Amino acid sequence: MTFLRLLQQLPVVLVQTSSTILQRNFSVSVATPAIQKMTRVRVVDNSSLGNTPHHRPPRVIHVYTKNGIGKVGDKVLLAIKGQKKKALIVGHKMPGDRMTPRFDSNNVVLIEDNGNPTGTRIKVPIPTSLRQMEGDYSKVLAIANTFV
Amino acid sequence: MNILCKSRILVSSVCRKSSLLDQLAVPGCTSLIFKARCHSLAVNLSSCQQRWRYGACPRCPFESKRCYTDRGEGRLTERPEKLEYETEEEEDNRRNSNSQNQGFSEVFTLDVLTSLLRQENAVDLCVIKVPDHIQYADYLIVVSGVSPRHIRAMALYAIKVFKFMRKHGEPHAKIEGKDAEDWMCVDFGKMVVHFMLPETREEYELEKLWTLRTYDEQLKKIPVETLPEDFIFDANEFTK
Repeated sequence: MTFLRLLQQLPVVLVQTSSTILQRNFSVSVATPAIQKMTRVRVVDNSSLGNTPHHRPPRVIHVYTKNGIGKVGDKVLLAIKGQKKKALIVGHKMPGDRMTPRFDSNNVVLIEDNGNPTGTRIKVPIPTSLRQMEGDYSKVLAIANTFV
Repeated sequence: MNILCKSRILVSSVCRKSSLLDQLAVPGCTSLIFKARCHSLAVNLSSCQQRWRYGACPRCPFESKRCYTDRGEGRLTERPEKLEYETEEEEDNRRNSNSQNQGFSEVFTLDVLTSLLRQENAVDLCVIKVPDHIQYADYLIVVSGVSPRHIRAMALYAIKVFKFMRKHGEPHAKIEGKDAEDWMCVDFGKMVVHFMLPETREEYELEKLWTLRTYDEQLKKIPVETLPEDFIFDANEFTK
């Protein structure tokens, strides 16, 4: 357990010492029960807010569901670069329904308050099961490049 | 009632004229005449439409629309957008409607949608045929509007017509992004329509993405993600 914590801290230490290291774009961690408060997420669209490097990875501070667990298609509130931003979950590490894709990282797409996506393109594959869900997902599907 | 009869007579006369002209089979002439007919049809449509809104003429718009789609089969080469006509489905619909004698048995096809968008003075109508390997929809339509009110009106009208033609058991269609004033979306199963303002359209460039797919400029501008130099893959992390 302590070794795990050391390992999580080690990459951060290495980043600080070496000057030629590229900024890490995603966090590596064990699978958590889908997405909840304080999970570090990966922003997958091409918005400037999601892609500019910051010393802290974006974290979820609120999940807009009845229970605090966020699955694909749920809206969450992120803390990015010292500001709050709404986002939509498009994939998580936890296995979901049968015949739905499972991703290696908790992916999230930034969204404005009126539902418009902040970025203009999404390179990462987006699950097509979003189309059948209740909610406003057509805009995110329209700017996606690949589907899973 | 008189207005109803008059409008129906107008429409049927136009249809008869158009059918006669088609039998002549002169492609160059028909294109010009068709454009004139189109204009007159559009005029009839709009006048019919107003009466429909007042509840006086429920069958008129669909009769005229049926004529329009019939003529559409001959016009394949002239359409600027990439469209594929399902002529067999339209023939079936005609047969069904003739037997049932109802204007409501028409299917909400792409032709119906494009004609109603044109009727609503949609700016820059763009229909894109989505390739088959992308199992998202058959057609993607991007439309601009003059103002947020115009966009909302177009979206609501499209939903209204869809509801009229919807059969029992078919899934509903709802407007997505109702509180966003610059971008509204409607998913009609086989077709997805995006109503945007011109500025939003410039920003997102959906047509470029859906026609160019991987060769899109904005996609190429996204920097390639590489692993950092100090990355060590530890199998223990993933097996826990």
